Amino acid sequence: MKISLVVLYLALLGGLIGIIESGAEDVFMEATRPDFQKIPIGIFGFRDGGDQDPNGEKAADVLRADLRRSLIFSVADLPKLGIRLNGRWEKDAVDKRLAQQASEQGISVLVWGKVWAKEADMLLDGYVYDGGSGDVVADRRYIGSSSVLRQMTHRLADELVFRYTGEQGIARTKITFVSEQNGGRELYVMDYDGYGPRQVTADGFLNLMPRWSRDRRFLIFTSYRERTKQYIDMVEIATGKRWTLISLPGLNITPALSPDGSSLAFATSQDGNSEVYKMDTNTKAFQRLTFHAAGDLSPAWSPTGRELAFTSDRGGGPQLFVMSADGSNVRRLTYEGDYNAAPAWSPRGNWIAHVCRTEERQYKLCLVSPDGQKHIRLTSGPGVDDSPSWSPDGRHLVFSSTREGKSHIYMIDSDGANLERLTSGGTSNTSPAWSPM
Amino acid sequence: MRKVDLTPCIAVLVGGLFLVGAGCGKSIQANSGAKSFEPGAKREATSVPKTTASTGSGPGSSSTPSSKPPTAASSPREPLSSEPETPIPSLSTLDSGPGPFNAKKSDEQRVPGDLLVAKTEPSDMSRRQVEEIQREQVATAASGLEDVYFGFDSWQISNEGKQTLMVDAEWIKANPSQKVTIEGHCDERGTLAYNLVLGEKRAKAVQTYLTELGINANRLTVVSYGKERPFCKDREESCYQQNRRGHIAIRVQ
Repeated sequence: MKISLVVLYLALLGGLIGIIESGAEDVFMEATRPDFQKIPIGIFGFRDGGDQDPNGEKAADVLRADLRRSLIFSVADLPKLGIRLNGRWEKDAVDKRLAQQASEQGISVLVWGKVWAKEADMLLDGYVYDGGSGDVVADRRYIGSSSVLRQMTHRLADELVFRYTGEQGIARTKITFVSEQNGGRELYVMDYDGYGPRQVTADGFLNLMPRWSRDRRFLIFTSYRERTKQYIDMVEIATGKRWTLISLPGLNITPALSPDGSSLAFATSQDGNSEVYKMDTNTKAFQRLTFHAAGDLSPAWSPTGRELAFTSDRGGGPQLFVMSADGSNVRRLTYEGDYNAAPAWSPRGNWIAHVCRTEERQYKLCLVSPDGQKHIRLTSGPGVDDSPSWSPDGRHLVFSSTREGKSHIYMIDSDGANLERLTSGGTSNTSPAWSPM
Repeated sequence: MRKVDLTPCIAVLVGGLFLVGAGCGKSIQANSGAKSFEPGAKREATSVPKTTASTGSGPGSSSTPSSKPPTAASSPREPLSSEPETPIPSLSTLDSGPGPFNAKKSDEQRVPGDLLVAKTEPSDMSRRQVEEIQREQVATAASGLEDVYFGFDSWQISNEGKQTLMVDAEWIKANPSQKVTIEGHCDERGTLAYNLVLGEKRAKAVQTYLTELGINANRLTVVSYGKERPFCKDREESCYQQNRRGHIAIRVQ
């Protein structure tokens, strides 16, 4: 009786194929529309292998949070529905009777697992059952040190996302940000869910606006390591080794690596006022892209690398503009409000997130479509929201906000739902950037 | 006892090695012209690098230091001079992981150590920065140089600001050996990036006015700190007003 899952799988696959034919953008809309039918999934508390430490429950909690954030699954509250394990602690922990019970509650997938130790290793066994038949449709064993239990669980979550959508999950991605440290501002990296923040630089002054390299080995950022001069530097996260990429006179800010890594766009004021340039990362040749007496900054690549959105105050206050990657075809994108800045082009190409000033003179996140036709406000409330950056699956944004007083890093769905604070410590956390997959 | 089929595991490992190898090959592409440096920080590896772990050495060896320990630290104050050249690694390489998942029904995977991050400690440079800032503050306070304040979103110097700068200009002329930094600052409203541009406009407006008063431009260094170094951290207009400033500071050598 695998029928229900097979049917679901085929339906999804058929749906996807149908949608792909009509354009990739629709897949995204499909999965984020409120009426998108999420897959109901139930996750039992994981069994601990005789260990005092409640690792099993921890892993189950991490998995539930990951799957909730995936926006693919709706996670059922099994105890509330009266669905409990039968007391067997092997693969058959979920039997036909349980699966039937879950199916009656509309749950199509069940997950159970156990966390146990073997010599120096920690093992996480994950079992995926078909709600209805109770057949095991997948089982996985992850082996690692006890320090990577969260990573093992994230891997299971990503695997479930992949199995049911064919897309890469984001549970193993990272976020870099800037945190105030002894009066200076230093680069940090953390897991996508805010766990494990670790300091990368210790310069003692200002390091700002980090961006990831495609292979996630390097961060590219603005550094004031001589205090009155700005450089665009690159640091290797694993070693702390540093390189200077750009050291033109004046401002050297808002670095943005092209999707294929061949070009680094940035803003410099070597010509007197801030202009957008790009540098070929292989030949180190510069090309000036904007020519205007006003301030041009914050280049943001389209996912194809063919266009750049940027901020310019050529019309008075800052507004968003779009140009081709060679600087031609400049057009104004935003007309709503008198302040639109800090663009971030979504990985699916269909939105440009940015900071907009509302009628109440609050700085909030907005979305504008690349044709300028659709304009949506995403966040509300007090404080300044800044530096939006997309998750690589395009379903979330990370940004900084002073809504609770001190600046912290927050995650939000691309439709404005599920605001979640990711940082807890520190006096000021700003300028987040989400890693590639 | 659970039966474990290692075949997919080995396939994954071999695939992983291949990808890592490919990545390394690409990253060796020479990019001349720049040298690397260490910002004076003491560093040591804290966990297994991803690439090492994916070859199967596993997290058990999590104390293994990075295969390339950092070279002798040199201060970025004398940047890029005495260090042996390390070419800038290619930025076009892709990560080998996480990679797609094996669709097989049963699978066993070794999960490598988490993202390797070099351990950081405050560097000599960091201490020197703090000392310098303190000496500058003392020298600036002693000089009696006054700051200029700006309106919201504005870089126009007010009449009051011009009066202040005339007094400042007299001091700068009377102390020809002193070099001066003009710092542009903004209040917390608005974005980090745009405030850096706005701060530069403010600093340059001050610089322009001082040169009009007869100060040689090469005595005046301009820098924008945007909203990153506020003088006051309260969220009210009186505080915002203090932060929208052109700060005139004495440079200590």
